[in-house]
Amino acid sequence: MILYDFDYERPNTLQEATALLRQTEGKARLLAGGTDLLPNMRVQVLKPTMLISLGAITPRPPQAELDGSIRIDALTRLADLENSEFVRREIPMLAESAHVVGGNQIRQVATLGGNLCQETRCLYLNQEHDYQFTAPCYKRNGDCCYPFPGNKPGTCWSVYMSDTAPALIALSANVDIIGEAGVRTVPAETLFTGNSLEPLWLARTEIISSVVVPPIPTGFGWGYHKSTIRGGLEFAMANIAVALWLENDRKTCAGARIVVGAVSEGPLRALATEKSLVGQVLNADLLWKAADDASNEINPLPHHGFTRNYLNENIRVYLRRTLITAFERAYGMDA
Amino acid sequence: MSYLETISIEDTANVAKIEPKGRSRFITLSINGERHEITVKPRKMLIEVIRDTVGLTGTKGSCSSGTCGACTVLLSGRPVLSCITLAVECDGKEIRTVEDLAENGKLSALQEAFLDQGAVQCGFCTPGMLMSATALLERHSKPSLAQIKKGLEGNLCRCTGYNAIVDAVLQVSGQGVTPVMK
Ligand SMILES: Cc1cc2nc3c(=O)[nH]c(=O)nc-3n(C[C@H](O)[C@H](O)[C@H](O)COP(=O)(O)OP(=O)(O)OC[C@H]3O[C@@H](n4cnc5c(N)ncnc54)[C@H](O)[C@@H]3O)c2cc1C
Ligand code: SF4
Ligand code: FES
Ligand code: FES
Repeated sequence: MILYDFDYERPNTLQEATALLRQTEGKARLLAGGTDLLPNMRVQVLKPTMLISLGAITPRPPQAELDGSIRIDALTRLADLENSEFVRREIPMLAESAHVVGGNQIRQVATLGGNLCQETRCLYLNQEHDYQFTAPCYKRNGDCCYPFPGNKPGTCWSVYMSDTAPALIALSANVDIIGEAGVRTVPAETLFTGNSLEPLWLARTEIISSVVVPPIPTGFGWGYHKSTIRGGLEFAMANIAVALWLENDRKTCAGARIVVGAVSEGPLRALATEKSLVGQVLNADLLWKAADDASNEINPLPHHGFTRNYLNENIRVYLRRTLITAFERAYGMDA
Repeated sequence: MSYLETISIEDTANVAKIEPKGRSRFITLSINGERHEITVKPRKMLIEVIRDTVGLTGTKGSCSSGTCGACTVLLSGRPVLSCITLAVECDGKEIRTVEDLAENGKLSALQEAFLDQGAVQCGFCTPGMLMSATALLERHSKPSLAQIKKGLEGNLCRCTGYNAIVDAVLQVSGQGVTPVMK
């Protein structure tokens, strides 16, 4: 239960919601599924004075645009994404990444927008602070960091654990953001500040209205993996999203995007490895080497008890498998 | 939190606000087919209303943070966690709890299957399990093993080791599992 009082509004449009956000000068928060926000309010990591519910606004179903891109309303619930025939056929990687978030009851109400805008997490942050670890850490405006006591003041290494963000970045998706000055469109990748204190480049008065996945290139293959201990109802130790697309010869790499999430302040791309693959005739050895290179390129933050070494090895092994899967799909071997 | 606090009508004259007032809202819920008109603070969770205001204590609360599934109820047919759902968000909606499953004191086929398989030990997870399983069976009358596991993944059980629970769902959906307890 939440132990303090806050106000509650339920606007009928996103425009009304942005107006309310402006009036409250950023002290309010949007309430989508509430599955990230409400637990954080319970432990008072967040203490908004008002919740602006998006519950009265019905999301539009995912649809293809004239240019072949696919628009997904940010209010779409993850369960509706994973169960949508259309999304599973057209952008299976996004459906898969939605399918592995939390547990079923979470996905029934959690939204795509909320998934992108979720708070960062660390072993110490997301728990009650009234009987242990009571002194606030940097993220709570205090002057210490529990897992990284050597951190300079203001350096927080809590991790951003969205399962859908790496998939969206691998798919080169854009997000539409409604704000005071109208709508702006930015690549999903550029949403992330790299600073866990304020992980997103999103003003408190802005709302993500939709996510747009551009047309999938020909010869495209994807791989997605979420590393967990139990395999359900669990945040990732790391998640991996890979997109590969081939030239007409179905062997030469035309483009690659390798994204690793849940191990840093925001999703990370293995840019050098991606570049090294383009123009190469792909085979298993090369992809294994790419996995090694990419895991060296990614520098995971130790988190939730997983050491940097362990995460490095985990990422290396699953990148190999994910890259091979992506290649097989691009080649058409899975058909 | 008391019954009185939940139903108290706030002073609505005092609208000029700097501090949040958490002004109560009047909402209507249909719980197991019964209409309830109540006034709640925005901070009240659905589970608090179901258990403390309405008095249906079949729904269990445990972790209060969305990590165990004990508090699962059906909201417009979807299994949701009542410990992380604001009651005000459910205004005008239909809620079903474990008390809705038995009819005239007779347990439902799913509940009987839980007994047949020994899928209930301490029983604390059972109401949530039953509601998740009910939602699953309403979507898929013969769910596959993978669908059952995925449908119940948000419900933790510390006692049974899960197999008996999965078997109960297989039994009630007529997939070749026979009762072991009777
Ligand atoms: C037990 C448990 C397990 C979980 N496991 C996972 C997991 O495995 N992977 C994972 O990624 N997440 C997980 N989560 C976190 C959370 O459930 C998901 O990230 C979910 O998708 C959040 O969506 P929501 O709609 O519920 O967001 P909310 O909680 O409603 O919102 C989250 C934040 O985003 C803001 N916001 C919401 N919508 C918008 C918008 N359109 N524009 C701008 N800001 C917005 C809100 O103001 C808030 O600050 C888990 C949570 C729990 C409780
Ligand atoms: S990593 Fe960040 S959130 Fe965690 S204790 Fe340190 S400052 Fe706080
Ligand atoms: S009490 Fe709601 S999920 Fe545990
Ligand atoms: S029967 Fe005891 S927790 Fe499931």
